[in-house]
Amino acid sequence: MKPSKTTSLLITVMLSIGAAVSFFPIYLAVINSFKTQGEMFRSFVALPTEIHFGNYADAFEKINLLGSTLNSVIISVLGIGGIVLCAALAGYKLSRTHGKLSNLIFFLFVASMLVPFHSIMIPLTRMAKSLSVQGSTYGLAIIYIGLGVNMAIFLYHGFVKSIPRELEEAAQIDGCNEFQTFFRIIFPLLVPITVTIAILDFLWIWNDFLLPLLMLTDSSDFTLILSTNTLFGEYNKDWSLILASLVLTAIPVIVIYSFFQKFIMHGIAEGAVKG
Amino acid sequence: MPVKSYKKYVSLFGFVAPAFVLYAVFLLIPTIGGMYYSFTDWNGLNRSYEFIGFGNFAEALSEDPDFIGSLWFTLKYVLFMIVLQNVFALALAVFIESRRRSKGFFRTVFFMPNMISTIISAFMWTFVFAQVLPQLAEKTAIAFLDQAWIGDPNVSFYSILIVSLWNGVGYMMIIYLAGLQGVPQSLKEAALIDGATPLQTFRNVTLPMITHAITICFFLTLNGAFKVFEVVYGLTGGGPGRSTQVITMNIYEEAFSNNFRYGYASAKSVILFVIILIFTFIQIRVMKKREVEA
Repeated sequence: MKPSKTTSLLITVMLSIGAAVSFFPIYLAVINSFKTQGEMFRSFVALPTEIHFGNYADAFEKINLLGSTLNSVIISVLGIGGIVLCAALAGYKLSRTHGKLSNLIFFLFVASMLVPFHSIMIPLTRMAKSLSVQGSTYGLAIIYIGLGVNMAIFLYHGFVKSIPRELEEAAQIDGCNEFQTFFRIIFPLLVPITVTIAILDFLWIWNDFLLPLLMLTDSSDFTLILSTNTLFGEYNKDWSLILASLVLTAIPVIVIYSFFQKFIMHGIAEGAVKG
Repeated sequence: MPVKSYKKYVSLFGFVAPAFVLYAVFLLIPTIGGMYYSFTDWNGLNRSYEFIGFGNFAEALSEDPDFIGSLWFTLKYVLFMIVLQNVFALALAVFIESRRRSKGFFRTVFFMPNMISTIISAFMWTFVFAQVLPQLAEKTAIAFLDQAWIGDPNVSFYSILIVSLWNGVGYMMIIYLAGLQGVPQSLKEAALIDGATPLQTFRNVTLPMITHAITICFFLTLNGAFKVFEVVYGLTGGGPGRSTQVITMNIYEEAFSNNFRYGYASAKSVILFVIILIFTFIQIRVMKKREVEA
């Protein structure tokens, strides 16, 4: 089915216009972040006459870029690591055991995937307060594990079915106990689905706004997104400063996107089909 | 063999406990707790509270114009999102899939906005709506651009849609692209030989073959759209007044910045949960029937 030359050209033109429109806000944010406030208000669309780094120096300090990025990294890494470890163990075992109890547990995990975060945010906040994990980056990472294991278990559960049981039996004959079998034989085989899970969870945790907003109280614990939110509230007329901070906040994900684009797209498609 | 079955439970426990404990503490118990408190008049502080049956639910659905307003506003938003997000995503996927050399480029560009956090996208667009478009309107005399994009609730509904679509279409596009790649080339060629036009091939061959992807994308859009928060928070803050407030925002306000009516806010959360459940159930039921196997 090959479209004719004119339709083909028409499609390319339409896609190009769409791409330009789609890219326009990013273009605006980037070029205006290099202008002084005065130059910006003369024209938003024109390229800057000279590159002005002042906004970035300002934003760098005001959103505590290094500290905030470090917080985001700590929360993401601990959260993803915890989800992968806990969910791989549970998903594997639940997939291999067929009893009433294990079926019930698996059902509880899967059913909870339908619970919207906004329906639990009030009791969750109270729970976090009473366990005093509120107001701590480590505490937040632990909460992410609790909220994220259900989907990961679901994905691991399905993936484990494709691994032949003979592998485990062989390992056990060779003298491995159950945990050794899991870590030496099974876990390495789970890498493809682990990558998918890690990517989906990274996008979720890194870009999440509401949970950190509810959990973190001290600005030195803020994630990158939260710091930018605070800056937006405080300097809401200082657009060149805001835009510089928005660009700084977007850079890490764009860099990761450009390196891992294939994996990310594959991960999304994979996660969606299995879900 | 009691010893063996005892061992089996220990091993099940050892593998599942870490995940289950964290899940129970931060997801299961809060879910049940929220439902429990939705039937009480607890204010979140006092030790004592009373059961008031469906009192909170009745109040939210009949005597709370702000909540009812947010409910309708969200429903309208969900409806628009389901149609527009899927139409745009599918059209993009079909067009991009038909390109040969520029496929990768367009895929990269259209998916990029999805990488940027929703709240950051909303701030970026606030700049476009509040500053850039009015200035462009002034300079180019395109009157259409001169709208109260954020100030007038009738217009800002569309601003909210634009930002949501900009941010969300890429994700669905990826799923549709994966679906399209699963359509066997031989079927399309067979249709071509039988004299089908491209449009007929699309309607009668491609579309039925990707119904699974369509079901997933409808499900994801429906679920996401009911839970919309960041776009509205960043763009209008629910204002002016509460004219663009969505359900999640109404709950947020009730629970965290209003009068600490904990039981009442919990009832609203339960209502949101039930609404999503009902709509999801209907959607899956209706669409699963239409799926065909390759």
